[in-house]
Amino acid sequence: MLEQLNEKDFGTPRRIAEQEVTLEIDGMQVTVAAGTSIMRAAAESGVNVPKLCATDSLEPFGSCRLCLVEIEGRKGYPASCTTQVERGMKVRTQTPKLQALRKGVMELYISDHPLDCLTCAANGNCELQDMAGVTGLREVRYGYEGENHIHSQKDESNPYFTYDPSKCIVCNRCVRACEETQGTYALTISGRGFESRVSPGQDQPFMDSECVSCGACVQACPTATLQEKTVIELGQAEHSVVTTCAY
Amino acid sequence: MKGSEVVRMVPDKNGQANEGHSCVKGRFAWGYATHKDRILKPMIRGKITDPWKEVSWDEALDYAAAEFRRIQKKYGRDSIGGIVSSRCTNEEGYLVQKLVRTAFGNNNVDTCARVCHSPTGYGLKQTLGESAGTQTFKSVEHSDVIMVIGANPTDAHPVFASRMKKRLLNGAKLIVIDPRHIDLVRSPHVRADFHLPLKPGTNVAMLSSIAHVIVTEGLLATDFIAQRCEDKAFQQWRDFVALPENSPEAMQEITGVPAELVRGAARLYATGGNAAIYYGLGVTEHAQGSTAVMGIANLAMATGNIGREGVGVNPLRGQNNVQGSCDIGSFPHELPGYRHVSDSTTRHLFEQAWGVEIQPEPGLRIPNMFDAALDGSFMGMYCQGEDIVQSDPNTQHVTAALSAMECIVVQDIFMNETAMYAHVFLPGSSFLEKDGTFTNAERRISRVRKVMPPKAVYADWEVTVLLAQRMGYTMDYAHPSEIMDEIARLTPTFHGVSYEKLDQLGSIQWPCNDEAPLGTPTMHIDHFVRGKGKFIITKYVATDEKVTRKFPLILTTGRILSQYNVGAQTRRTENVQWHQQDILEIHPHDAEERGIRDGGWVGIHSRSGETVLRAKVSERMQPGVVYTTFHFPESGANVITTENSDWATNCPEYKVTAVQVMPVLESSDWQKKYTRFSKVQDDLLKNAGEGTGNKTPDIKIKAVAKSIA
Repeated sequence: MLEQLNEKDFGTPRRIAEQEVTLEIDGMQVTVAAGTSIMRAAAESGVNVPKLCATDSLEPFGSCRLCLVEIEGRKGYPASCTTQVERGMKVRTQTPKLQALRKGVMELYISDHPLDCLTCAANGNCELQDMAGVTGLREVRYGYEGENHIHSQKDESNPYFTYDPSKCIVCNRCVRACEETQGTYALTISGRGFESRVSPGQDQPFMDSECVSCGACVQACPTATLQEKTVIELGQAEHSVVTTCAY
Repeated sequence: MKGSEVVRMVPDKNGQANEGHSCVKGRFAWGYATHKDRILKPMIRGKITDPWKEVSWDEALDYAAAEFRRIQKKYGRDSIGGIVSSRCTNEEGYLVQKLVRTAFGNNNVDTCARVCHSPTGYGLKQTLGESAGTQTFKSVEHSDVIMVIGANPTDAHPVFASRMKKRLLNGAKLIVIDPRHIDLVRSPHVRADFHLPLKPGTNVAMLSSIAHVIVTEGLLATDFIAQRCEDKAFQQWRDFVALPENSPEAMQEITGVPAELVRGAARLYATGGNAAIYYGLGVTEHAQGSTAVMGIANLAMATGNIGREGVGVNPLRGQNNVQGSCDIGSFPHELPGYRHVSDSTTRHLFEQAWGVEIQPEPGLRIPNMFDAALDGSFMGMYCQGEDIVQSDPNTQHVTAALSAMECIVVQDIFMNETAMYAHVFLPGSSFLEKDGTFTNAERRISRVRKVMPPKAVYADWEVTVLLAQRMGYTMDYAHPSEIMDEIARLTPTFHGVSYEKLDQLGSIQWPCNDEAPLGTPTMHIDHFVRGKGKFIITKYVATDEKVTRKFPLILTTGRILSQYNVGAQTRRTENVQWHQQDILEIHPHDAEERGIRDGGWVGIHSRSGETVLRAKVSERMQPGVVYTTFHFPESGANVITTENSDWATNCPEYKVTAVQVMPVLESSDWQKKYTRFSKVQDDLLKNAGEGTGNKTPDIKIKAVAKSIA
């Protein structure tokens, strides 16, 4: 519903190169600059490959495993965000096998996620929600009773945004935004495996950390994990206007 | 947005200046726009000791116009003037200077650039031919060497700083010339290759010694100089900087920086590939501010680092629209497009368009206005969106001048420090409440779009139109786009600018005209705007502001990330959680010598005055130098700063004040007086109107737009 408020996300940054590469994606001929990811090439030609950890303001990371594709003549299911286009490549982004793989990945994500979508601040503007829809998630075979992060403590120390670890899918977009967009390196992932959590500094509250509150992480977050307090209070916007910052 | 309520601000990925990034202020600190302190009713009073009286717009404007005419009749045509805001739009600034040059009939108009980047305007015009930075922000992605002089980008220009850090992480070298150990000197994954921690006030000595190394070690870009620069001026400059007195060894005593460091930095700048200079108010706000700007331009020309991507001379500007306010003629000596009022061709052009006679002599600069007020010859002022009392140096002098005046009209969104000395208050409008344009340091003109109706009925430009009308001069505009059309018609560098084109292109970097229909991202590509580049001799002259036994430390002032300038906006947001008060940073040695504890109260004396702040003992400072910010009026940072100023432009020497610092137990006399005065003014405001109080309608408007271009 809020698609029109968000700018189109091509998944990976634009590449500039003199050389162009033509390939086939889902039967269509696509020509893009050399060095472009398959994900972006697809997006530029109107095909949106499912994704969670990719966003076009950040370098590809390849962790969410939703953007898998099939490439003719290649084994396996490479991630389209980290795989660059090659001349003559034949890519398929939608097959029954890919559908099954993506659904399986989504099941895992959702098995450790609070299912409070209707009362969640990101409702209507949540990439996790969108991907659940896109992948056709209908059930979670693992149930919701296993070990989870649902009772994690919220960090509300920052005056402008909250950090709710229970909604975090550990896509690393916030950590990467802090590094790549802002250059402050205030965020990291602490712990390993299931224990992995986004952490400002040494597991400090945001306000006690090196965070400069630029909000790049909030913008990058695909869920309600990092969320503006104004959105929590007021709900999602219904229209947008482009203007110029007054500072 | 939800209706006219702002929900969130999201920086626009397509914003050509910021490319999807913002800082804590832009993204989050917009709550001031709907803060309960907004004054939404016009008010007048006969004397500043009278209570404010809420009146209709008609009454307030009639009163202001009548007062201005009365003053002119009594004290002469030149006894009134106006101040252009660097936070308002280009169109609004243009109208204020037009009002002064038409309805007021003089050139007494100035702007806050007087106290920040006026030396940039002067210095770059003299050397390169245009009063503006040479590059786009994006250009830094092509730099191999970045030299930062007198700027603290991670605090004061954080969005650009992020971009710069990105390039540094990818291998560019960094030279920092700054008295303080600013964050860029060493932060996660970024480390300056050279930090030259010079003594405040010695920029020109430093720049000359860098030039000395370039000239005497054979590092000049001789082909570039031969083709692009005036030969005679170059030779004179070369011979001057080559003098032994300008060597890093000779200058070491003055700058306090080891000669070898200077030599290393100079070699890196001259030979490291594309080298770009970024500088801030640490260059301009000095007795030799203009000289230092010319010294910077000299370095760029001497090494051929100008006229392509990745190089250039880049002022980091002080306020959102300080470039724009200068462009549109807000200086007392210049008509729009930096054309001198003495130039009869330009004057005739405007005379014809405006239907008045324009005075050929420059008007008063802000400090001259204060002096004239105390002399009794300058008695009325129209001040739009600028807080001169808190911003300008030597507060006591400023307030004495304002107290001597008969009619001060302040147009602002808040009852600022200047408004406490005003006789007419006209409610202003925030950037969310009007259409217009801002121009940033890249010369980039971007659209400001109205997202909610003006909370006090009128946008700022409309108020100026109404005031002009009351003074008998008709300004006829239905929309700010028509004001821009007029600017474009009358200003060669803006000929091609229109709202339609801005909508099409997103933004435009001037010059934009038949020669450059899409604007000019990089300047001086094939030739300098003035034709040949002109080297100018930059002889170091020590400031009169010297340390003495009585005042043994140097105070330098600046900003911090979470607060914006005088803080009128950011103090009214949650940003105060990061910075609740201005503090004095002092080196551990200086602190220990004086028995100053971290967090203790200290009195800071200069020959201008005294104030009291809390101390922060910090290794960021060099011994002998103390630092504070000026975001809170009660701090009185400018009670201490002096009336010393740049020789060419009168830009105040904020960066060098000789002081003594001692532990104290109570606030200073000035602060006590300030507190009493503010309390009285507060009461006069509370009692405004007829027992209705000054309650502003509690409209809950939360914010704005989605995108920041």
